Amino acid sequence: MRITMTCAALALALGSAPAFAQSGEITIWSWNVAASSLKATIAGFNKQFPDVKVTVQDLGNQPTYDKSIAGCAAGGVGLPDIVTVENGEAENYWSQFPDCFVDLHTLGYTADDQKKFPDFKRTELEVGDKAYAMPWDSGPVAAFYRRDFYEKAGVDPASIKTWDDFIAAGKKIQAANPGVSMTNADFNGDSEFFRMISNEQGCAYFSEDGQSITVNQPKCVDAMTKVKEMKDAGIISSADWGTKITNNTAGTVATQVYGGWYEGTIRTESAGENGKWGVYLMPSLTADGPRAANLGGSSLAITSASKNKEAAYAYLKYTLGTNEGQITMLKEFGLVPSLISALDDPYVAQGLPYWGGQAVWKDILGTLPKVVPSRGTQFQSDAEIIVRAVQTKYLAGGYPDAKAALDDAASQIAAATGLPVKS
Amino acid sequence: MRNRNATAYRFLTPYLLIFAIFWVWPIISSFLISFQATRTVPWRFAPSFNWGRLIGDPAFFNALKNTLLILVIQVPVMISLALVMAVLLNSPLLKARGLYRFAFFAPVVVGEVAYSAVFRLMFNLDFGIINKLLNSVGLPRIDWFSNVTPAMALIMIAVTWRWAGYNAIILLAGMQSIPEDVYEAATLDRVSKLKQFFYITLPLLKPVIVFCLVLSIIGTMQLFTEPFLITERGGPGGGTETLGLLLYRQGFRSLNFGYASAVAYTMAGLAIAITLAQLWLTREPK
Repeated sequence: MRITMTCAALALALGSAPAFAQSGEITIWSWNVAASSLKATIAGFNKQFPDVKVTVQDLGNQPTYDKSIAGCAAGGVGLPDIVTVENGEAENYWSQFPDCFVDLHTLGYTADDQKKFPDFKRTELEVGDKAYAMPWDSGPVAAFYRRDFYEKAGVDPASIKTWDDFIAAGKKIQAANPGVSMTNADFNGDSEFFRMISNEQGCAYFSEDGQSITVNQPKCVDAMTKVKEMKDAGIISSADWGTKITNNTAGTVATQVYGGWYEGTIRTESAGENGKWGVYLMPSLTADGPRAANLGGSSLAITSASKNKEAAYAYLKYTLGTNEGQITMLKEFGLVPSLISALDDPYVAQGLPYWGGQAVWKDILGTLPKVVPSRGTQFQSDAEIIVRAVQTKYLAGGYPDAKAALDDAASQIAAATGLPVKS
Repeated sequence: MRNRNATAYRFLTPYLLIFAIFWVWPIISSFLISFQATRTVPWRFAPSFNWGRLIGDPAFFNALKNTLLILVIQVPVMISLALVMAVLLNSPLLKARGLYRFAFFAPVVVGEVAYSAVFRLMFNLDFGIINKLLNSVGLPRIDWFSNVTPAMALIMIAVTWRWAGYNAIILLAGMQSIPEDVYEAATLDRVSKLKQFFYITLPLLKPVIVFCLVLSIIGTMQLFTEPFLITERGGPGGGTETLGLLLYRQGFRSLNFGYASAVAYTMAGLAIAITLAQLWLTREPK
């Protein structure tokens, strides 16, 4: 089965590859498991392009951004051939340094190629008729839960359809498992629940064309209200990234709601809890709600300073544009493919031993087509810090209601960005 | 004479060139950039874009408020604490003085990143020793990182822990330079130890205390590492964001160099104003 699949992918790649063979060296900047997963695809890539030497440099997340921005500001000096770009930050690059990266259309990225990726992954990467980066992984949101804690409380995860169900279940689970929190949120340095629920409801900080502020639209208000309800119900205890992992391992949390890339983190960091974890779809505000959202995810862009743009593009096309490349990264490090066709790969349908035999990827990836775009715009980091401040104040009772809180956020974002607030 | 000067300047040229390129030019350049709208390329001249925003920006006033709050609360507390430590260290009754001096000074030697990481662990909600201690004496645990007031207190505790001993050592040096015979005369006149402290030690120590204050105020104005590392970039929700963090965020996260430059110039102006006020307040009476 695997051999036929590889052959099919090979034939596909060969059919569309340029007639001449690529050669030379390409360098990629990336971070952590993302860098490791890129390294994992080199062997497969070199089977088709033996003369291209790929070097992946793991700089760390923040240094990659800082060094790339510095390189762009210096007119491309010192940049590698390929840079990993987080989708949320992507428009910072294009808006400040439109000439720093290559329009992938000039290297053979066609409209058909673009359609292989979902719309929500492409909104930040394509400006006008230019495509600055190819989508890589995405973060379809799911609820990762401890089977034993749920069972002890007699809660069937399949019965949790709405956030209200989630709150009710949380109270039961916390009562049945002393010392265990239903879930964790990073109230210190993030707004993940607000962003996940807003995105699920189709509301974002900015409108899809990036020209107006929509953070105080009714659906966002509903999302913020629900976050406070959960906090007030006592089912969320605060924990940052590291503490969440500690809680997972120590057995002091029953559920983590996060992007699909969290699968690899749980599986590798909490290896001892083998078989205890499971996955269900994120709850929604209403029983017939979409139960799908995206959180995080990255892309790869080719720098204008690259001396081997064709080879770099060939690598992108193999790693991100074929099932073989994407599934390799999923298998090794849990990076979620945004390539739609990877959904049909046999690996996705497999039950995984760590997850108690559940075919978690089938469930998680199945939500991808329902995810609506949430455009970051180049003002994302400004808006995010304002939303966090407002969220902190709102949760502490500083506003009469979520509408007042988000109205305040919208007017602050307007002052910071000069964009109008959508009425 | 003029020739000699010319030679001197020729020798100075390498330094002056570097000074001009890496100091003078950035100072001028950032001043010019602060008048430009830098949100989108191409940058355009628009004086009110950044300066107008600064006047009404809640984030700026929040950062200013946080910085001043630390200045007004943490600095006096730390200097008082340092003074007490210095008096204790100076006591002739104290054994193993060298060891204590080292112990108080040691926090300065510890790397900022390392101590920030340890503070994060100690104050962790579920697993930190501080909350365990609070629980064990019957107090409720505190969610240090997710609420504004505890987070701010945490920053002040951390900065105080790090710098109180350093100031104590400076104050101790000042105390030891006060002549012994003044105290002897006071003791003969039956002046109590407490009165000796307030009427002899404190006035004679004033220049040293002012020096410590100036150092601490400059340090607070530039405070960056602790809110960046301990409370995760000024969290929760900007609750511990200082002016330094705001500048960094605007300049290097949002790539809004114009606004960052305006913030930088405001910070510099503020530092000059505070220093002048301080010099005026602590001037020697004529």
